[in-house]
Formats: sequence, C-alpha cells, structure tokens
Amino acid sequence: MFKLENPYALRRGRVAKVIKETENIYTFYIETEEQARPGQYNMLYAFGMGEAPITIASMEGEYLVHTVRAVGDVTRHIDELKEGEILYYRGPYGNTWDIERAHKGELLIISGGLGLAATRWVFEQAKTHHIKRLIHIYGSKDYHSLLYRYLYEHWHSYSEFYITLERPDPRWNGRVGLVTDLLREIELKEDTVVFTCGPDPMVKACVSLLENKGIKVYNIYASLERHMKCSLGTCGHCMIGPYFVCKDGPIFRYDLIREYFERKEV
Amino acid sequence: MEVKGEDEGSNYLIDLDSLVELFGILSQRYRVWAPKVKDGVIRYMPTSSFGELALGYRNIELPGYYELKKEEGYFTYTHPVNSLKELLHPPELPLMRVVKQSSELLFDYTMPNGERLCLFDVRACDLWALEVLDRVFIKNNPKPDPYYKSLRDNLFTVGVNCSYATSTCFCTTMGTGPEVRGGYDLLLTELKEGFLLQVGSEEGREVIGPLKKRRAEERHLQEKENIIKRTEGMMQKDFHRQEARERLYGRMDETYWEPVGKRCLACTNCTQVCPTCFCFDMVEKNGLSESYRVRAWDSCFSPSFATLHRFNLRQSIHSRYRQWLMHKFAYWVDQFGTYGCVGCGRCITWCPVGIDVRQEVRRIVQA
Ligand SMILES: Cc1cc2nc3c(=O)[nH]c(=O)nc-3n(C[C@H](O)[C@H](O)[C@H](O)COP(=O)(O)OP(=O)(O)OC[C@H]3O[C@@H](n4cnc5c(N)ncnc54)[C@H](O)[C@@H]3O)c2cc1C
Ligand code: SF4
Ligand code: FES
Repeated sequence: MFKLENPYALRRGRVAKVIKETENIYTFYIETEEQARPGQYNMLYAFGMGEAPITIASMEGEYLVHTVRAVGDVTRHIDELKEGEILYYRGPYGNTWDIERAHKGELLIISGGLGLAATRWVFEQAKTHHIKRLIHIYGSKDYHSLLYRYLYEHWHSYSEFYITLERPDPRWNGRVGLVTDLLREIELKEDTVVFTCGPDPMVKACVSLLENKGIKVYNIYASLERHMKCSLGTCGHCMIGPYFVCKDGPIFRYDLIREYFERKEV
Repeated sequence: MEVKGEDEGSNYLIDLDSLVELFGILSQRYRVWAPKVKDGVIRYMPTSSFGELALGYRNIELPGYYELKKEEGYFTYTHPVNSLKELLHPPELPLMRVVKQSSELLFDYTMPNGERLCLFDVRACDLWALEVLDRVFIKNNPKPDPYYKSLRDNLFTVGVNCSYATSTCFCTTMGTGPEVRGGYDLLLTELKEGFLLQVGSEEGREVIGPLKKRRAEERHLQEKENIIKRTEGMMQKDFHRQEARERLYGRMDETYWEPVGKRCLACTNCTQVCPTCFCFDMVEKNGLSESYRVRAWDSCFSPSFATLHRFNLRQSIHSRYRQWLMHKFAYWVDQFGTYGCVGCGRCITWCPVGIDVRQEVRRIVQA
C-alpha cells in the first residue's frame, strides 16, 4: 500500500496583479511555483461555488497568468479577486501544443474570442522558435471584447498578426468580418501547421476552409472546450467519442476527433 | 484479470456448519456486506449473522420485471440488485471540508476510514466490475484516485459461482462469467455434498485456517465444472462482442438511435444500477462558514450532463442513449482495455420501459 497524492488538493497562490480586459473579463497574475506548458489549464476554485477549468494564458517569470470571463457562479466569484488576495487552484492539467511540428515551417494560429487565452502562450513561445512564417488571426465579437490590447504592438513586431471584428465600431478602423473571411484571403503553404481555439462552429468552418486550401487535416490542432468537473478522467462529463477532453486533450489533432466533433450531439 | 487467483492444492470441501463458522470468522475480522432480502429484492447490505443471508431465494428477472421466489438450496439466486459500486464509489462521497477563516480557506481532506470490509457472495460479473472500476480509478489512470483506493485496499472478497442465471443475465456474451476466474480471496461453489471452498490469496488461507474442512477430490472439481457449464447453458450468446464493437463505430448516425430514443425516458435508472457507470458530479454543500465538496453520482442521461455555456450538447434522448451504449460497448475498450459492460443485466431489469440493451446492440449492429 503506497500513499497517493490527492489529486483534488487545492493550492494557494497570491494575486499579484489584476488587469481589467473588458467589462466582465479580468486577467490575473498569480504567484506560483507551478511548472506548466502552453495549452494546459488549471481548475480554479471559488468557496461554496465549485471549480472551473481555466487555461493558463501565459507564464511570466514566477507568475501564472489566467484570464477569466465572469459568466456564472465560479467565474463571477473569481473575477472579484483583488490584488493581495488568494486564489485556490489545482493543476496543471492537459496536454500541450506540439510546436515542434512547425519547426522550420509555417505556423498559423486562429483564435476566436476567449480562445485567445489558450493560444497566447504558445504564440509568445513561437517567437523564439525556429519558425519561417508565423501568422495569427484573432476574431473578436466586437470592439469591447478585445483582449490583451497592451500586447498587440509586441505581437506585430514578430508575426503577421491580424484582428477582425464581427461588428463595426466607430473606434475601430481595422478589419470587420468573420475569421473565415480573413482566412480566405491569406495565402498558405500546403504544409502549414495550424493551432486553433475558439467556439465549435468557428473551428469547424475554419477547418473546412483550410482543407480547401490544401492544408492537411492532420496538421490542424484544436483546443476544445467541454463541460469538466474533475479534470482527472473520472467524472465522464468531458467525453467526446472515446476521448476525455480533460486528460487526452484539451488539444487534439483534428483528424482524430473529426468524426465526433463534427457530428451533432456527440 | 491479473489479481488474486486460484492456487494449486487449495481446494476444500466444507459442510453447512463450517460455512456458518466461516461467516462467523469473517464477521469477527471484518465488517461484512452480503446479499439480504429487503423490500422484496435481494440487496447487498451490512450483515451480522448467517441467518440474515438471502439463502434459498430465487430472483426471476425480465426486462422491467423483478420477482423473488423460494427455492431448494442455498446460493440459488444471482447477483443482488445493487452493485459494489455503492461501496467503492459511493452515491455521495465528501472529498473535503473547506472552512473559511477570515480571508483564508482551510482544507480538510477526509479519506474514507481504513476499516476492513468483507464482501460475502460476489458473483463473476460483479468481481469483473471491480476490475473495470480499478482500471478507471487507479490502474489505467495517470492520477490515481486515493479515495477509491483507500476503500479498495481494504476489501476482502468471497466469490460464489452461479448455479443459475436469470433471463436478463448475459455474462457469457461479455466474457465475464458465470465462472469466477480471479479477483477473490475465497471462492465458494455449492455442490451436492456441501460447498467447494477455494483459496485465492494468503489472507484467504489465513481466514480459513481454523475451519473444519477436508481436501476436495477430483469429482468435486468435476462437479463444479458441470455446474458452470449448466449455468452457461441457461444463457444465450446474444452477440459477438468484438464484432459488435467494430460495427458500432460505423453506426453513429442518428437514424440507428432514434427508435430507442423514442422509448427511453432518460430516467437514469440504468446508470444508477450499473456496476461500472462511474460518472459523477461535484456538488458543493454549504453551511454558514464551511463548505463540503462532495462527489455525487451523475448520469449521461441527465439533461445537464454535457452543458456548455448553459446549453446541453446532448439535447435529444437518443444522443444520450448513444453516448451510454457506445461508451459501454465501444469507447471503453479504447479508454481502459475492457468493455464497460459486464453482462449483469441490471439495466434491463430496472428500465421502467423494459429496454433490453442486448436487443439494442443486436438491432443496431445488424441494421
Ligand atoms: C479546457 C478549458 C479551458 C478554459 N479556459 C477558460 C479561460 O481561460 N477563461 C475563461 O473565462 N473560461 C475558460 N473556460 C470556460 C470556463 O471553464 C467556463 O466558463 C466555466 O466553467 C463556467 O463556470 P461558472 O460556474 O462560472 O459558470 P456557470 O454558468 O455557473 O455554469 C453553469 C453550468 O455549466 C457548467 N459549465 C459551463 N461551461 C462549462 C465548461 N466549459 N466547463 C465546465 N463547466 C461548464 C458549469 O459547471 C455549471 O454547471 C475554459 C473551459 C475549458 C474546458
Ligand atoms: S433505464 Fe431505460 S428508460 Fe431509464 S435511462 Fe436507462 S434505458 Fe432509458
Ligand atoms: S473532466 Fe471529469 S472526466 Fe474529464
């Protein structure tokens, strides 16, 4: 009989900095000793409310970066955290973006809405990787919802970074339209590797467009969002076909999940 | 199964008095759970004396039907209506108590107590189900579950070979029974002359040390074989499981599932009585300054199970039925290397509208 680590045990991290992104989205810098990799997530706990899976948006020095949209019980509670307060969490969980696949080649990142939190860190890492061409398309619902405005300038400096808004806005003189409209215009090599995270319909539409451009489905990786309760492969909530999104994912090579992802109600 | 198994030269014959004595020894060493008659059904329950056992009863089960009768003999029934999941993966299990003290939270992780527990009279399908759950929670899980493990490590099991199968049993189809082939500490088979007692572990050997017994002879082992063959003969081979699994992957279209979706009520009965359905919800039970995080059974048939942004991904009942059946007979093998179904038939008996999963598998793979 050996003693097992308790996978439900929560750790504490002090909130060092809070950035207000939008009306209901905040970014938290948490002091941590955690070692994580881009694409992974933590379970954040709110007293009396429960837990929510939240992507590790980045790691800056000893700070863990989480961007949280207040949509319900747990996330509303988290978003009330102030500097100096304690966040309770467990993790990291899940797999990581396979950036080696894009070594010496082209990497296209497609992010929709809050999906940008899941691609941000790998996008930052791509800067120091040997990648020939780095493209990032970010689609946002409207001007209000734009995340990480303070990073765009830096991102422009090392990549082709495009933003498109679904709805026009007087303060916006950039592109308006869907992610797919923008994607359609971009010339891509057939062996481009694609990382994407966004709402299911966006991911589906992008994949079919990319296929028309001759991109191989096995070069497309998508980070999925599903209902999660345990993050340990035992509560069953996150299943998609034979996969557990919490432990086999959240990132999947698209050809492996296509059958289940594109079918209704799987 | 790679767990505890039969051991050469450990076959004994005991009489009824010794069986009673064995039960007494077990009750002294362990807290014993065994099949008892309660509210017209046979249930696993805490049991303190031999007289409480459901011996001499026969369960008659059909789709949506259960009845008990008296029968000549002792282990004359099949498995109880509840499964061992109730013990190892309890319907509600507190994982931690969280106390708020000013702005800090204190966590108290309550492991189940390390009490030794004996499961007396476990049939092949249910022993196999333990192996299935072991793989989910411990063996095939990179983050093994300490709550499950602390309960599991404290189990002592007495298996029983079935001499009867009810009409909902299909362990032969799933390859899990009726013969108990491993996973037991002691194993009993009811013979004409008494009870064949076989030892499967060191602890089992220790337990029966003081017991009055004699070595079993070749003919006793032969009689056991015959009993198992006879029980096998009471069941049909409903389908070929590997073939069914392969074909199911080509049957994802909703047209295959709509007929059963029209009958199914999504009542979740089948997942509750299933010995391997493991899905759970995390529930917060709140007091004024403390909160318990509780693991509570959930079901893929429940309308909020696959909620994403307040919208259930599996709205239709046929899609939930597809998730359940595909998981049991196909996905599970990819995930854990066994089927998720052990052929106990509980889901057939307790389905209020009498949906028979064997027929559904046959209908869908033959379509
Ligand atoms: C891998 C992954 C990464 C994510 N990363 C982020 C992120 O970086 N930032 C962010 O703001 N959001 C992220 N989400 C979404 C976030 O987890 C949900 O918005 C959150 O769980 C909602 O919880 P709630 O209690 O606040 O909402 P409520 O609206 O109160 O939840 C309602 C019900 O739906 C359930 N629910 C709804 N969506 C989800 C979900 N995706 N997972 C689990 N339960 C759900 C809740 O558990 C609850 O039962 C991520 C989700 C996943 C799966
Ligand atoms: S028991 Fe029967 S009706 Fe209830 S959810 Fe299961 S299959 Fe459907
Ligand atoms: S979140 Fe519980 S199994 Fe994946």
